[in-house]
Amino acid sequence: MIRSRKHPIAAIGLTLLCALLLLPIAFTFFYSFFPKTEMQAYLALRGRYDGSWLPILLSPKLFSLRQYYTILIEDTVYLRLFFNSLYYTVTILLGQAVFVPAMACGLSRFRFRGRELLFFTVLAMMLMPFQVTQVPNVITLRIMGLMNTSWAVVLPMWFTPFYIFLLRQFMIGIPSEMFEAGMVDGAGAIRGYFYVLLPVCRPVLGAALALSFADSWNMVEQPLVYLQNEATRPLSVMFNVLTDTRADIAFAGAALYILPTLILYFYFQEDILLGVQLSDLK
Amino acid sequence: MFRDKRALALFLGPGLLGLLVFYLAPFAGGVYYSVTDGSFRNAFVGLDNYLKVWQNEMFQVGLRNTLELSLLCAPAIFVLSFVIAVLLRDLGNSTFFRNAMLLPYLMPSSAMILIWMLVFDYGGVFNRLMGLFGLPQQIWMDGALLRLPVILLYIWKNLGYSVVIFTSALQVIPQALYEYASLEGAGRLRQETAITLPLVSPTAFLIFVLAWVNAFKIFKEIYFIGGAYADLYTLQHFMNNHFARINYQYVTTAAYTFAAIVLAIFAVLYVTELRRRANV
Repeated sequence: MIRSRKHPIAAIGLTLLCALLLLPIAFTFFYSFFPKTEMQAYLALRGRYDGSWLPILLSPKLFSLRQYYTILIEDTVYLRLFFNSLYYTVTILLGQAVFVPAMACGLSRFRFRGRELLFFTVLAMMLMPFQVTQVPNVITLRIMGLMNTSWAVVLPMWFTPFYIFLLRQFMIGIPSEMFEAGMVDGAGAIRGYFYVLLPVCRPVLGAALALSFADSWNMVEQPLVYLQNEATRPLSVMFNVLTDTRADIAFAGAALYILPTLILYFYFQEDILLGVQLSDLK
Repeated sequence: MFRDKRALALFLGPGLLGLLVFYLAPFAGGVYYSVTDGSFRNAFVGLDNYLKVWQNEMFQVGLRNTLELSLLCAPAIFVLSFVIAVLLRDLGNSTFFRNAMLLPYLMPSSAMILIWMLVFDYGGVFNRLMGLFGLPQQIWMDGALLRLPVILLYIWKNLGYSVVIFTSALQVIPQALYEYASLEGAGRLRQETAITLPLVSPTAFLIFVLAWVNAFKIFKEIYFIGGAYADLYTLQHFMNNHFARINYQYVTTAAYTFAAIVLAIFAVLYVTELRRRANV
């Protein structure tokens, strides 16, 4: 039931808007292939207040992989931070894979007293601003003595209310017949979970995986407070510190930093669309 | 529906334990910090901490900036995403456009700062465009004006999310309504405001709330652009400062105060929405 009117203005407007949204990403990759010296000289032109325009750089003297060579081989500072990020992100995702779908299943495929109340609690936690939920996290982390360890960044994220909510929204809409068909031989809940529920949930699991990856990959507030030792911090908080002093490799660093989320996005884009639509409470 | 009680405990138990340990129990237990003085005697001081935090100038600045910034971002995202969703529908909901718009949502904002600093440089593209309209060059990367690049970065990243939710809500509106309105002589604008907007209002309400709560996280963008100026000092800056000093009295008090404010605004929004729905 989609109205199809021909609207050249809408088409032009949206194309322009998409270009505007995608250009920063495109330029980051484009500039990462400029020679180091050329890029450094260009970035040094920023912050002149004499009224001269910053040139718009559109063609490099030559395409070069020097920026990448430096961050990948010559100077491993960047790479170490990149692997910190990867370590935190993977550990967070592994924990979430254990706890989040199971809890969502409990909240949607079982009937018990207090289910709605528990779901409402999860919802309320999800809508609380981060400044509020961070405080209980910190109290527990200190009591457990986990501050300044990687667990501080990882553990609270295993139980992120948003993903419990997202998966529950999908699971509650699955028709019961699907389970009955799969469980004629009287298989229990655990078999039903692994052999019916999880396979059926594949799209929403893909969405949760991609969104959660981006969340962890980009997290700032937590490592900033929980990790005092700069060597253990992820790229998300260290990237701008690093590029302040290393303008010559900044764009290759940014491009490499974007790359994992970009790959994940293209792989899961249909699922992500579905997942975002599911966050509509109805 | 599964019925096995032991299986339920197995599914729900670990997650529930995690939520209790990291969120619910310390949230309730933290009340203790907010009403004691934090000395080794830990004397009960009643609401003293609350009065102290409320009178704290940095808390006031942080709270005001956080609310101001979020109330600039949320309505902007709300209006823009509604207009874009309507335009998208006219084009038959092209998946390409939706995907392109959602892509920034997953991107690390810190990687985008480089481009932002070029665009908003004194000699940068943004000032060039201003020049085309006959406006003077501005120093965007400093002082109160720094809010604009920060807000635009935030919108750049978060716009697509609302667009996608709006788009899916628009798809369920029956076409017949528009045809009827057309016959009655309703113009395009009238159709969108009299049919589309009221029919997507439950979703619209959610989008506004989500956009608004998410906008409290604008600290991220501020941190990258490097502003800790008076105009960009947010509640998160205040919290970070007192986390570093392990000042539980202040962080718990500030958190409960903020939670109360947010809940109060939710309640107002919700009641307004219910009233509006009753009147339609």
